[in-house]
Amino acid sequence: MSVPFDLRLEDVFSGMELSEVVFGPVERADIVRYAGAAGDFNPIHIDDAYAQGAGAPTAFAMGMLPAGYLAHAVSDWFGGPQHLRRFRVRFLTRVWPGDEIVCWGRVDEIEGRLVKVRFEADRRGPGPRELELPEREPALSGDADVEPA
Amino acid sequence: MGVGERAPGSEAEIVFELPVERGKVREFALAVAEDNPIHYYVEEARKRGLPDIVAPPTFTVTQMWQVPREERERRLGANLAYERVLHGEQEFFYQRLPVAGEVLTGRMRIASDISKQGRRGGVMRVVTYESVFTDASGAEVLRALYTLMELPPP
Repeated sequence: MSVPFDLRLEDVFSGMELSEVVFGPVERADIVRYAGAAGDFNPIHIDDAYAQGAGAPTAFAMGMLPAGYLAHAVSDWFGGPQHLRRFRVRFLTRVWPGDEIVCWGRVDEIEGRLVKVRFEADRRGPGPRELELPEREPALSGDADVEPA
Repeated sequence: MGVGERAPGSEAEIVFELPVERGKVREFALAVAEDNPIHYYVEEARKRGLPDIVAPPTFTVTQMWQVPREERERRLGANLAYERVLHGEQEFFYQRLPVAGEVLTGRMRIASDISKQGRRGGVMRVVTYESVFTDASGAEVLRALYTLMELPPP
């Protein structure tokens, strides 16, 4: 992993860029594993025939899977998940089997001990051929408040 | 039933238990590719002043095991057309992370239900479910907001 990780309050300044963290590529098995762990058995994430009936070329990941990766990245930036006070994500587009998830962020401002960050998770990969997706595009955006050591 | 109407007799909130089990915490941590040892090894958690392994930040989404969608819909009665529903947003507010061995009490309700003009015409509905999780002493551990968007019919 590249630096900086495990940031402490004295290391942080507004506008600071946070190191890119890459997860995946997301495989079918990762989606099934998350379905079982979370209890999310919506067939649109598991069953291609069902997804096609709903107008998607294949099954695709539940948003909370890359959201979990993003929470992991924010936790690593600031010394662990116990420093999180608030975490929010918005889902912008679907994540497909074979996509990598590229997490990156920036420190927005510092209020006392509270550090406010903004971040994004991009999907990077070919996607289903029929959709002609860009090679990389924002899949989730979000913000968080952390209280680093 | 029209937009935003509740099914008659629906309940104001659903109260449920969320057991935070070591095995379930590890399983969820693996599923989100966690490599922080405080989610796996009790000794590593204790070295950092935690009483046991702790759940990853998004762990309480496992409440779907306790309250599946069908039960949530039947009891809270948002009456959403799920073939047109997307998960729009998710937010958590933390007092602390759940610790393995404890049993949290969750209280889920509909926090807001608004209808607005969709960007491509038609009415879009935005429903936010709030779940508040408390520990055995009654203190709040965390709060989760789960926001669904119902797109206008085609």
